[in-house]
Amino acid sequence: MELYEQLAQMARAGEELSLWQEFYFKFFQAFLANDRWLQYLEGVGTTLLVTALALALGILLGCVVAMIRVGHDQQRKGRKNPLLGAVNAVCQVYTTVIRGTPMMVQMLIMSMVIFSSSRNYTMVGVLTLGINSGAYVAEIIRGGLMAVDAGQREAGRSLGLGYITTMLFIIVPQAIRAVLPALGNEFIILLKDTSLITTIGGKELLYAAKGVINRTYEAMFPLLGTALVYLTLVLFFSWLLGKLERRLAQSDRG
Amino acid sequence: MIEVKHLRKSFGENAVLRDIDLTVDKGDVVVLVGPSGCGKSTFLRCLNMLEEPDGGEVWFKDTQINAPKTDINLVRRKVGMVFQHFNLFPHMTVQKNITFAPVRLGLMKPEQADRRAMELLARIGLADKAGSYPNMLSGGQKQRIAIVRALAMEPEVLLFDEPTSALDPEMVGEVLELMKELARGGMTMLCVTHEMGFAREVANRIIFIDEGVIKVDKPPQAFFADPGNERLASFLSKVL
Repeated sequence: MELYEQLAQMARAGEELSLWQEFYFKFFQAFLANDRWLQYLEGVGTTLLVTALALALGILLGCVVAMIRVGHDQQRKGRKNPLLGAVNAVCQVYTTVIRGTPMMVQMLIMSMVIFSSSRNYTMVGVLTLGINSGAYVAEIIRGGLMAVDAGQREAGRSLGLGYITTMLFIIVPQAIRAVLPALGNEFIILLKDTSLITTIGGKELLYAAKGVINRTYEAMFPLLGTALVYLTLVLFFSWLLGKLERRLAQSDRG
Repeated sequence: MIEVKHLRKSFGENAVLRDIDLTVDKGDVVVLVGPSGCGKSTFLRCLNMLEEPDGGEVWFKDTQINAPKTDINLVRRKVGMVFQHFNLFPHMTVQKNITFAPVRLGLMKPEQADRRAMELLARIGLADKAGSYPNMLSGGQKQRIAIVRALAMEPEVLLFDEPTSALDPEMVGEVLELMKELARGGMTMLCVTHEMGFAREVANRIIFIDEGVIKVDKPPQAFFADPGNERLASFLSKVL
């Protein structure tokens, strides 16, 4: 602390700092001065919260959309349910529009058009990310559902189980296991994409870094620090997902 | 018990079943044979509506199962099916495979279903596999457990769709043995198979399907001794 004050004075007086003095000064300024690390920590908390909420929303939306689309495709010929047809069409429009437009644009539309009067930027961000992620999760899960051997459905149905029971207890668990790596990937993309909500005023990690930059006019350390935090989070969650995958694979063998 | 009238089924342009009539009585063991692609599996699958007939009627006792208003799930509880590829649920233990449907459908309490599953497993000598997952079992064990899974629903009819075709030769025997035991116990069975020995020994009727119709329907002795149909004679000369 004293060293920092000393260096700050030297800098203000226009004295030349040595390389390591400058390094120490900027590092201290970026993370430790005024307890700025607390801002980052708060940012990380928000980032994780946003990720968790958006993930939950994305998986919920994705499962529902995937089930509707597969359910629609599996209807028996000549017995199409018109309501399901309509809902299926809505789902198709949803995935097409979301996957066909940039996340950034969706984010801006959500915050500046649809929720232009809301000041809860973080929650608008959660909503956007969740809706965006849902479209991708839907396609991943749909692929998984279709990859489960048709014999599994036939076996379930031939025991007298209904379509929904067969789906929920026999097909979906197997599909989830099959798509877990892809879902994990989607989760990691989502984690990193939370940084985009900075642009609409969501107060997550990058927002904290930008706050520090605006105050200190120094960009390197806050940005590198932010990158490092993201990297650490991603590595941690990748490790966790790997463990989960291995555990699920184990139950296959008993 | 099962009555089929003028059943028709085609896949696109390909008319697989043209006009099938069949009555199966309680306790019948019917074996269906025919050249591959003749529609015998399709016919079997029409009996529990895994394939939907294009025309005709399929009756199970007093219910027309292909009528739009019939709750097919109720019929399927009483019509068990065993598949060529076993189709055990890989994410459930052997015991759970057997108990899941009866418990889920509210037909048995969990403890009751567990007890029943253990009884059935003991009967086929696989009680020690109750906690195993299907991937750890041999083909013959899987198929016998698939049969037990169907039995746990206490069905009145069992449909076998080439139950031994996916098995290594040395495993065929144990599955056929179990099927014979069921037949002796009075179970009504319809079985698509290429095991002529089984047909000869166990069936009380053998049916030859060709060109989408039932060409021959005879007791085994007559079936093999006096085919009475040129196509059947040529088919038998190839498989025997």
